[in-house]
Amino acid sequence: MADKQRDWRREENDEDEEGEQELDESSFKAQKDAVLLAIEVSPSMLEPPPASSSKKAEQDSPLQAALKCAHHLMEQRIISNPKDMMGILLFGTEKTKFRDDKDGRGGLGYPNCYLFTDLDVPAADDVKALRALVEEEEDEDEVLKPATTDVVSMSNVLFCANQIFTTKAANFGSRRLFIVTDNDDPHASDKAARSAAAVRAKDLYDLGITIDLFPIAKGESSFDLGKFYDDIVYRDVNAEANGTEVRTSKSGDGLSLLNSLISNINSKQSPKRALFHLPFEIAPGLRITVKGYNVVSRQTPARTCYIWLDGEKAQIVTGETTRVAEDSARTVEKQEIKKAYKFGGEYVYFTPEEQKSIRDYGPPVIRIIGFKNRNLIPAWASVKKSTFIFPSEEDYIGSSRVFSALWQKLLDSEKIGIAWCVLRSNSQPVLAAVIPSREQSDEASGTPYLPAGLWICPLPTADDLRDISAERGLDCSEDLKTKMRVVVQQLNLPKGVYNPLKYPNPALQWHYKILQTLALDEEVPEKPEDLTEPKNKAINKRAGGYLEDWAETLKDEADRAARSRSLKREVEDDGVSERPAKQRKAAAERPSGSTFSMAQLKAAVESEGLSKMTVAQLKDVAGAKGLSTSGKKADLVERIEQWVEENS
Amino acid sequence: MADKESTVFIIDLGASMKATNGGRKESDLDWSMSYVWDKISNVVASNRKTLCVGVVGLRTDETSHTLAEDGYDHISILQPLGPMSMSGLKTLQPKIQPSKTTEGDAISAIVIAVDMIDTFTKKNKWKRQICLVTDVLGVDFDAPDYGYKEEDKPAVKKQNEETLKKLVDGCGEDARFASIVEAIDDMNEPRAKSVKPYKTYDGSLTLGDPKNAPAVVEVRVERYFKTHLARPVTASTVVVKEEQAGPSQAADDEQMEGVELTAVKQSRTYKVNDPDAPGGKRDVEFESLAKGYEYGRTAVHISESDHNVTKLQTQKSFKIIGFIPKEKYEPLLNLGESCVTIAAKYDEKSELAFSSLVWALSELDSYAVARLVTKDEKDPIMVLLMPYLEPNYACLYDVPLPFAEDVRSYQFPPLDRVVTISGQTITKHRLLPSDELSQAMSDYVDAMDISNYGIDQDGEPAEYATIDEIYNPAIHRINHAIKQRAVHPERPVPEIPPVLLRFAAPPTELVETVQATIDSLIKAADVKKVPPKAKGKRQREAVKPISGLDVDALLGGEKKGSISPENAIPDFKRALNSSEEVEQIADATKQMGAIVQSLITDSFGDNKYAQAMESIGVMREELINLEEPGQYNEFVRDLKKKLLSGTLGGDRRDFWFKMRWAKLGLIIQSQSEASTVTLEEADEFYKSR
Repeated sequence: MADKQRDWRREENDEDEEGEQELDESSFKAQKDAVLLAIEVSPSMLEPPPASSSKKAEQDSPLQAALKCAHHLMEQRIISNPKDMMGILLFGTEKTKFRDDKDGRGGLGYPNCYLFTDLDVPAADDVKALRALVEEEEDEDEVLKPATTDVVSMSNVLFCANQIFTTKAANFGSRRLFIVTDNDDPHASDKAARSAAAVRAKDLYDLGITIDLFPIAKGESSFDLGKFYDDIVYRDVNAEANGTEVRTSKSGDGLSLLNSLISNINSKQSPKRALFHLPFEIAPGLRITVKGYNVVSRQTPARTCYIWLDGEKAQIVTGETTRVAEDSARTVEKQEIKKAYKFGGEYVYFTPEEQKSIRDYGPPVIRIIGFKNRNLIPAWASVKKSTFIFPSEEDYIGSSRVFSALWQKLLDSEKIGIAWCVLRSNSQPVLAAVIPSREQSDEASGTPYLPAGLWICPLPTADDLRDISAERGLDCSEDLKTKMRVVVQQLNLPKGVYNPLKYPNPALQWHYKILQTLALDEEVPEKPEDLTEPKNKAINKRAGGYLEDWAETLKDEADRAARSRSLKREVEDDGVSERPAKQRKAAAERPSGSTFSMAQLKAAVESEGLSKMTVAQLKDVAGAKGLSTSGKKADLVERIEQWVEENS
Repeated sequence: MADKESTVFIIDLGASMKATNGGRKESDLDWSMSYVWDKISNVVASNRKTLCVGVVGLRTDETSHTLAEDGYDHISILQPLGPMSMSGLKTLQPKIQPSKTTEGDAISAIVIAVDMIDTFTKKNKWKRQICLVTDVLGVDFDAPDYGYKEEDKPAVKKQNEETLKKLVDGCGEDARFASIVEAIDDMNEPRAKSVKPYKTYDGSLTLGDPKNAPAVVEVRVERYFKTHLARPVTASTVVVKEEQAGPSQAADDEQMEGVELTAVKQSRTYKVNDPDAPGGKRDVEFESLAKGYEYGRTAVHISESDHNVTKLQTQKSFKIIGFIPKEKYEPLLNLGESCVTIAAKYDEKSELAFSSLVWALSELDSYAVARLVTKDEKDPIMVLLMPYLEPNYACLYDVPLPFAEDVRSYQFPPLDRVVTISGQTITKHRLLPSDELSQAMSDYVDAMDISNYGIDQDGEPAEYATIDEIYNPAIHRINHAIKQRAVHPERPVPEIPPVLLRFAAPPTELVETVQATIDSLIKAADVKKVPPKAKGKRQREAVKPISGLDVDALLGGEKKGSISPENAIPDFKRALNSSEEVEQIADATKQMGAIVQSLITDSFGDNKYAQAMESIGVMREELINLEEPGQYNEFVRDLKKKLLSGTLGGDRRDFWFKMRWAKLGLIIQSQSEASTVTLEEADEFYKSR
């Protein structure tokens, strides 16, 4: 039901949500993601870090770090992937627990596997239970007590995961098993057990379940994938030809184990779903394949829903829409519905075929029409988010090397491509800039948190431009500019980049924080720290003095400018009073400041208006005309009069 | 609010307008009217009360107007000045026919038009226009606004033209005198709709804490949209009006002309899960529902009194948090529409402070990052402020920046090196460009540089495809089609105007000149298209884990053929993989089919549907790969029969709908060559019950 609704909505808003829909490799699958986090519980995972007096020393045992990370992941996914599922399976535990299913076999089939959170969209209680496990010093239920007997059978763990996925997340487009362990060789001496695990891993592969390994290494020892996990982990068929390596988490280099683990798991937080898979026509007759990804995309709080409170438990209602004709209120069947355009109070109708032909701009493609210097794209040329593209060898062998050559050239020559893009059939064509992003390790990169590749940045069209006509205000003095320059130089952001990862969205975080407290019946928390607020103390400390300096100069200049403006107004009022009132007002308000016009000055000279002005006002006028401002009033008047004579 | 406008079109309907000139197929009248209809249909499309048109016929057989004086014969008001509707347009159309007369005076018609405008607009503020379309001079011409002239007009009419030209010139700067060719050209060039500036913020821009710090930057500013995404008109959902929707109506699209349509509204009903209700769901009253949010799968109810409780309390503010060097910013981070900020007017202190900030940023090649709350209680956003200086203009442009949550940290492999499984880094590899390819690409990119390929108004080289030359094809395409359809319902949908496809491909001439460079690039690239067959084709060699272990070999042969319900899909795949005979495939398919049926039979409500769907999907995919579509088709025919006849644990029509939705029906020839099923048969299979 839910799926149907989602699809219906998609159809309804297809104009708006263009490009939002992710590529559907096999249409019979639900586009959802399920992650099962399997965490090993063993004496070595429980071993606390070596005691140290250093404040920065590791605080967590590997297991604690893994659980904290799971908690973090769960809270994060509720925000970022609200429809997706997550579960937590502890393995190697003394206790055994599967589902409290009626028809299930209980935990009997999977000894030493403790399903702590069943695979589902997380509920508030799941978050609470997990948090309790993380925070409680004493493990009352002894959930985290490792098995004392044999080594835990990995084939058993994998089959347990298989059953969890098959029943709870059937037909999901993306199913992933994350294994967190510090044991690189669980069946060192048991070849049969190793083989059995390999067979179960192949089952998972056949089910389309991806295994992602998050190895934890301790001290100097490294995690050797060759011992066991290379038989378990498969290359992702959808992954890029040039595969990514498994990253080991460990503490050191100022990074705690927890942070290292969080960063590794975060990179797999959302399944890497491609938005599109398209030919990229770099030159006439030269096509390669690229896939598009939504790497940067605005996250907003989920919309409100309706809740039914009369039952035992609050329930979210599902809505169903029926369509009725406006004139007669009769119910309308789907096949009766037509699309028409309002035009002059009536409808202009096109048949579905005609509609389609109007929207048809040929088969989807990204086609380069030329290259430009990067600086030709104006700073304001932005209307929509950009899409990341990366080569794929699926349709054209050799795509990667051609893409790489183009990417390198664009970076080296500071150029960009201009491309005509039809990103899916019947979607609006857009003209976009094709902009390269640098390698993360590149010193010059302003985006070390983004992958290297090309980006499709839609350009505005003439239709999107708004005309802002505003006259330029007063220009400040060189002195004031210089003083402001010093201030700016003092206040560069760390490393001179805007790193979005340092700025969580305060409104989004607050929304979910409150929801969480309401759901768990907790106290409403204090206002959280808002990292997007300016660090005023630091600003004052680093640039306070320079700011004072600047402010003083500004005050002087502003006073002078204000005087000169009001003076001009007076002169106009006196000198040219025959002008209609309306016009005079407009003229007086013109923000042209000390640029006293020649005509105005001349009028003032002739009507002896100059001598009625104060010394300050005269100085201002003289200053504005580049004359000396020294001397007595008579000198100033004379100097200005002379200047008017010479220059008119 | 746009300006109020009134336009009177004077259309020469004299007998001479029947003539066909200039090698055209249409008469002069029809050809000229294509311009007028375009203008009038723009008015209809706008649906504005303050955009008025009137139409006066000149050299008509009859005389019908409001001036009771002599000398105004053969002039008729065909459409009084006023807003134009679709029905007005339809009434007007048949009136535009060439007359039998050549009598009638253009100047008199202008007098009448002026009188119409005077009477209608009174002394109020209106934009007033008269458009005269006539062949008095040869073909056409124009009074206060557009018009036409013909180059090779007879000398006799020269004086006429001069008279009219003088009249036009006397009307002031806004009047134009042009040939229809020019007018029609003008019409083909898309027009961007101009929208009045919209102020998005009006308040202080600050650096530092105005409450506590001794000195801060505090500037009164105004912020406006610089870009705002224009969207094409959207179609409304309509149905044929009831009195006409007879049983024979049957959605016959050919006969839509003259049929009246009415809008469709939506009404929603709400359901909750209730195990006791038939079908597991029951309706609930909308009035009994409360608002709330989902936190994961937990429903969080928010009472009416504190509906704002999840909203972050904010106050209108615009605070600079720091600066970054320009070269460290990548425009690919831009999240949306840009705005422009300028200093508040008539405030010397703000103007000067703003000026110093813009200048300082500009001189240092720096940008500012700021946190913006456009109004109290609005969510904060981060924006990047970029200085811009022109002789008459100083401003800060801004674009929205992402927050932490907006960036998905996907991992991608590096582009300039290959890391092998053993951890080695290689720089020479088939996935990386050779030196030759890099050089060819570099040559090509330089050759195709269009930074200077365009031509400006003075004929000098200029940037090609600048933003003000690019129009949104979707907007103008649909508008063009709607206008055409409204005026000429009988004509087919027009082709895409070529101007909208100007930038759909690289400039042809440029491509011709750099063809040699392109050829060497193609040669160096050596890209090979993957044959379409091989793509979906099943890989015969077994999939192996990273170690390359042959997992299938680990299993004893005896287990391979049997499929267990718990591990159905992997077992099925393994059985197919090890099969050598068609019988083995048939056996596996049969076992799998039985498992699917028992899943459906045992399903309480729809709780096992997803599992069954997944299995069916895998069967379909695998049997296509094995080129055994017949086996799947046989299975799916049987399944459909059982679903609809209710032999799988009751009414399972809902499952059949799901299958239709997911397109899991018959495999057709285009999907697998071995199939004997045609597209029509497959469609029929979906439809029939």
